[in-house]
Amino acid sequence: MNRGFALFTLLFALSAFFAAPPAYAEKIDIDLSRMSGTVVYAMVNQMVTEPQKFKGKIVNMSGVFSSYYDNETNQRYFGCVISDALACCSQGLAFELKKPHKYPQEYPDEGTEITIRGIFDIRTEEDGVGFPVIRDAEMFR
Amino acid sequence: MPELIEKFSFYLEFPFVRYAIIVGVLVSLCSSLLGVTLVLKRYSYIGDGLSHVAFGALAIASVLKLTNNMLLILPVTVAVAVLLLCTGKNARIKGDAAIAMVSVGALAIGYLLMNIFSTSANISGDVCTTLFGSTSILTLKVGEVYLCIALSCIVLLTFVLFYHKIFAITFDENFARATGVNTTIFNLMIAVIVAVIIVLAMNLVGALLVSALVVFPALSAMRVFKSFFSVTVAAASISVACSLIGIVIAILAGTPVGSTIVAADIAVFGLCYLTSLVRDKRG
Repeated sequence: MNRGFALFTLLFALSAFFAAPPAYAEKIDIDLSRMSGTVVYAMVNQMVTEPQKFKGKIVNMSGVFSSYYDNETNQRYFGCVISDALACCSQGLAFELKKPHKYPQEYPDEGTEITIRGIFDIRTEEDGVGFPVIRDAEMFR
Repeated sequence: MPELIEKFSFYLEFPFVRYAIIVGVLVSLCSSLLGVTLVLKRYSYIGDGLSHVAFGALAIASVLKLTNNMLLILPVTVAVAVLLLCTGKNARIKGDAAIAMVSVGALAIGYLLMNIFSTSANISGDVCTTLFGSTSILTLKVGEVYLCIALSCIVLLTFVLFYHKIFAITFDENFARATGVNTTIFNLMIAVIVAVIIVLAMNLVGALLVSALVVFPALSAMRVFKSFFSVTVAAASISVACSLIGIVIAILAGTPVGSTIVAADIAVFGLCYLTSLVRDKRG
């Protein structure tokens, strides 16, 4: 009986370990992946135009992977982009992965569907210009 | 069904969704009230012409980098509305020709200016949003909502206070003038109100679809009702209902807001048309 109980406990613990949800799974503040395209577009628009309101919130969003190399800062920026219902306008949020990845080997191809989960923040550049970013992000394909 | 209600309740927690519903209801209410007058005065297409003028003014405001676009769009649209509606029979270029000229001219100049003096990285996106209003209604700022509420209240109050005068001018302008109504002043007032409504409605359905908000509710109501009062009340009810249905479907299904509202208007027009056919056969 005791052996059976111990084995059950071990299996339960192992299953819990292997099926462990991503770090932020249980405390997502804004889950954009649950919303319709129209609402997601409006929500991201608000996050970009009024970033202070969302600072520190844990965001989960699905979209298309995109990257951009800035010659002035010699830095590559990564983004998760969504389109509006007419597909003529796009809104996106930059993200910085929690664990450093090598580009392009460890990143998906441009246009690949991805899900990003991380903390919404405002990154201020050296010139004082700020932009919204999802930091400490995890990326799922 | 309970899932959809739960989902919509969840969306209602976002302020921008509540703003969209408030502005949507007010704009559709105002546009339908004046829609009856415009349709009866054979000015159904003026909404389209003025919305293109507003688009041209928006392009100029973008080029000038104005922080508040309304400061330019509203006066320009009002001025053109007054020119089109008030010069009327005395103008050298009359009625539909003047509207067509102003409409395509403003559209072309607006697009040209946006391309030459581009201030945005996504010109086609900006043009598309302005013309079709894909999500403009869901990206309103608090200030814009208050402005819309204030302007809508002025329009509604004016319509209620001068209902009898508007009625008289709509059906027989000469008779109204003979009975002592200052038709010039009231035509001017209607022109200003129409311009204000068009500018407000551009946020809801976009410049190309504004006419639908003006024309469809009035035409639907005219299929079923006969008196000016009943047509006006029915047009207002149909317009508000279609806007609400359109916004809710667009939010839940992720479709473009403007075209979903217009699709709802078309469906109701179809129903009203069938109702009138059945009634006529029975009668």
